[in-house]
Amino acid sequence: MSTEINMEDLSFLQLSDSFFPTGLYTTSNGLEFIFHEKKLKSRDVLKLIKIYLKQQVGPGDCVALGNAYDCVEKSDLQGLVEVDQILYSMRLMEESRNAAVRSGIQLLRCTRYFITQNKILKLYQKAVTNGHASGIYPVSFAVVCKSLNIPKHKTGLMLLYGFVVSVIGAALRLGILQHLDGQKIIHELKPFILVSVNENIGKSLSSIWQFAPAIDIIQMKHEQMDSRMFIT
Amino acid sequence: MPLYKRIPRVGIGGPVGSGKTMLIERIVPLLYDKGYRVGIISNDVVSKEDANRMRHNLATKRGLLPEELVIGIATGGCPHTAVREDPSMNLSAVEEMESKHNYLDLIIIESGGDNITTTFSPALADYFIYLIDVSGGDKYPRKRGLGIETCDLLVINKIDIAPYVEADLKIMEKDAKHVRGNRPFVFVNSKGGEGINEVASYIIRDVLFEAPKNIQI
Repeated sequence: MSTEINMEDLSFLQLSDSFFPTGLYTTSNGLEFIFHEKKLKSRDVLKLIKIYLKQQVGPGDCVALGNAYDCVEKSDLQGLVEVDQILYSMRLMEESRNAAVRSGIQLLRCTRYFITQNKILKLYQKAVTNGHASGIYPVSFAVVCKSLNIPKHKTGLMLLYGFVVSVIGAALRLGILQHLDGQKIIHELKPFILVSVNENIGKSLSSIWQFAPAIDIIQMKHEQMDSRMFIT
Repeated sequence: MPLYKRIPRVGIGGPVGSGKTMLIERIVPLLYDKGYRVGIISNDVVSKEDANRMRHNLATKRGLLPEELVIGIATGGCPHTAVREDPSMNLSAVEEMESKHNYLDLIIIESGGDNITTTFSPALADYFIYLIDVSGGDKYPRKRGLGIETCDLLVINKIDIAPYVEADLKIMEKDAKHVRGNRPFVFVNSKGGEGINEVASYIIRDVLFEAPKNIQI
């Protein structure tokens, strides 16, 4: 086994660890509102996450991530900025959009702290600082993973797995699930994560979409809550 | 990465109900009178109440700062994480303030919860004030904890109610000296104003590096 492969694997572990500082633990993706309205039972969490994966994260975030990864591989900054702008324009809810941008910017900042010589990472961060790109999380994640030589498919798996874990984490803190149920749901979602990544990561940018109006409304309602634990 | 100047930051932490919000409401006008302009980030565990209150009292009512300079952050139930292990969301809010309001002299970051183990990441706060109040009992300082031991300034609040909760301030003083060595602590009554000047003076001297003046409340 070569040293290079070990480094990639360790980078894969580092970025998929919830200890990695991106602030994702502050988001529930609307779960808090549904729970508050007493419209969610523990058995519904699995179904809800599947809807997210099928209608939003897979066809939207994962397609953007795949295209962003390809742009980094070709050192195509202009293409990367285009992916960034398209995904940004698709985030309809203000707080959700802002949270994704903040997490992405902090991901870049953190990675640049220990990866100082990567050209495209540097240029993309500069584009974000100058206001030419937003830094939205899935695009920043693709840039960071490529700069650490993590393969594209694994990058997609990490993005979707990280999303699932953040929703489960929110469900645990809200008391919707107990810790063993949380792990069971993550296990049960593994095939859906795989299918979603396989289906979406190679699609062209023109194929990007997301359609989950009920979830959009839930997130809008969450923005209006007076008392809440989560940003989204 | 930032193209703008870094604004000094003070973190104020302490248990829920210890008086962090009122302390800020008392300090900001003193700093304003001295010519210092302040922005506030409030990490609320479950509501926007503290941020809304400060926005109303300091911005809307008194005009000491623009309303958008009081930012409330929901922390996913983990206020300690949001200022310590993973301060990403707070750093983003700070950077937004720095880029849009670079004339500011100081940013105050408030965070509650997690009792005596709260600390601020050095990447987030340059100076850390930890607040306790006497209603927790006079044993509080000697129970130690990271917040009490390592903060730059320990504030012991609500000294006016000490007799009613049978808290002996002499014991608290002795224990605070023992636990903190040469690090400062201040007895405060935020409501009545006692000790507030001293807290403001510490900020002016140790964070803003200006000689403390005789500020009157």
